[in-house]
Amino acid sequence: MTIVEVDGLTRRFGSRRGVTDVSFVIAAGEVFGFLGPNGAGKSTTIRLLLGLYRADSGRMQVFGLDPVADGVEIHRRVGYLPGELALYPRLTGQRHLDCVARIRGLTDFTYRDELVERFGAELDSPVHTLSKGNRQKIGLVLAFMHKPELLVLDEPTAGLDPLLQEEFIKLVRETAADGRTVFLSSHELDEVQRLVDRLAIIKDGRMIVTDTIEHLRRKAPRTVELHFDHPVDDTRFDGLDGVRVLDSTPDRITLALTAPIGPLLRVAADLEPVDMTARAADLDELFLDYYRKDRESKVSDVD
Amino acid sequence: MTELTRIDLGLRRRSLIGYTLGMAAYTFVIVALYPTFKGDTGLDQFTEGNSTVAALFGASGSLTTSSGWLNANLYANFVPLVVLLLAIGYGASCLAGQNEDGTLGGMTTLPLSRRRIVAQKLVALCLTTVPVAVVTAIFVAVGRGFELSVDSAHLSGITIGVILLGVDFGAFAMLIGAVTGSRSVALGVASSVAAASYLISSLAPAVHWINPARYASLFFYAVGDGQLVDGLSASAVAVLIAVAVVLGVATVVAFERLDVR
Repeated sequence: MTIVEVDGLTRRFGSRRGVTDVSFVIAAGEVFGFLGPNGAGKSTTIRLLLGLYRADSGRMQVFGLDPVADGVEIHRRVGYLPGELALYPRLTGQRHLDCVARIRGLTDFTYRDELVERFGAELDSPVHTLSKGNRQKIGLVLAFMHKPELLVLDEPTAGLDPLLQEEFIKLVRETAADGRTVFLSSHELDEVQRLVDRLAIIKDGRMIVTDTIEHLRRKAPRTVELHFDHPVDDTRFDGLDGVRVLDSTPDRITLALTAPIGPLLRVAADLEPVDMTARAADLDELFLDYYRKDRESKVSDVD
Repeated sequence: MTELTRIDLGLRRRSLIGYTLGMAAYTFVIVALYPTFKGDTGLDQFTEGNSTVAALFGASGSLTTSSGWLNANLYANFVPLVVLLLAIGYGASCLAGQNEDGTLGGMTTLPLSRRRIVAQKLVALCLTTVPVAVVTAIFVAVGRGFELSVDSAHLSGITIGVILLGVDFGAFAMLIGAVTGSRSVALGVASSVAAASYLISSLAPAVHWINPARYASLFFYAVGDGQLVDGLSASAVAVLIAVAVVLGVATVVAFERLDVR
């Protein structure tokens, strides 16, 4: 069953900002990652999905409903944590929770209280006296407390300490195990790698890739490091398919490998290395590769 | 009371209480001073011959009568000014301002339609205008102990006029905020229109070419047509309510199209 369907979504704010021709699908029970650098268009896409913005063109549906026309029904079934969480500064966390609970018609507070306990949310002080991390805890409780069918989380761990980031990851896994769907927007590669089944990468308002983590991992470059006791010429690797020199010093060459290793080993053997290490697929490198490629293609367009 | 109304009023509680207490004290002083000026015929020279300077301050006719004294010191200027400060301030901040600071986004992603959000904000706007106007009326009524004689129905009428005036300009600020998404633009435009409306209504009795334009001024319908002497007419109430309804509907339409952060 499809929970979110986006097709050719476009919303521009002048010539430089916004999103263009964004398409993706999220299935029920999936943890879907939405990855991109700051300003890539992640929050704009989310606001369009929640009916906060109107699209210039394209089609989108959440639970098979239109985000603008059926916003109330969608919002009833969604928990949203915005990227820039804004709470009323003079109100306490408790007042926020009570207000949202009343609007949502929430009467059973067991799960809400459990989340408060779990994250150690500070509820008795006015929000303006709290740190960013403590405000984020309140935002997480607000998003999860009504057990929504779809969670839309925009940079959810911003400001959380490592222990609470772990707690958040456990919570998302429990949510997915419960059959609910999570849309996780982030620029934290590690967080995304650990949580999501599938992801989309967006840059400058355009989708670069949509794929499963497993498939991406298979395509991701392995890192090979060769050590020498004599200076070597790293241009010897230039002609090899799927091999790229990441770093080169007089006694060490680091390579990214996306092809079978045989040809590389044959060239390396001629150079008589004294040692070799190989690391498994590195998604960070793959993501950075996507960003770089995009930038390079832009440069070549200009040329 | 609905949740958004309760939150917005709670956030403005301090300023509402402050303005209301201040207005109560000011009204008491004005009322208590009346016996001192009641017999001062020199005071009436200020407005003699339809003085435009006096008109600028909202004073026209005799200043030594109860209604003239209250009009010149309270209802032609100060009470509407304070109510408009509160109403326009709230109108500009409740949509555009809260959108700028990000809190509106949180509310707009709850299961509340935008129409309902506007309705709840309009209720808060109406309630924002009440305390200052009502407390002023109560202290004016106390003025009977200080030789002021004001018809209770007329006093109630002008109080309703002031409240509706505040609601109209507050709703206008809401509309501008919903159209532009900018609190400062909403504040500036609504305040400028209110100032122009005040000038037209107060100068109309003294400047003959402005006189016909008084029908375009909401001040005229609320406080500028001898309401303390003749009462608030049903037609004036109808105009003020109709303006509020039109502005409310227009705000819903504009807010439906506003990008919420």
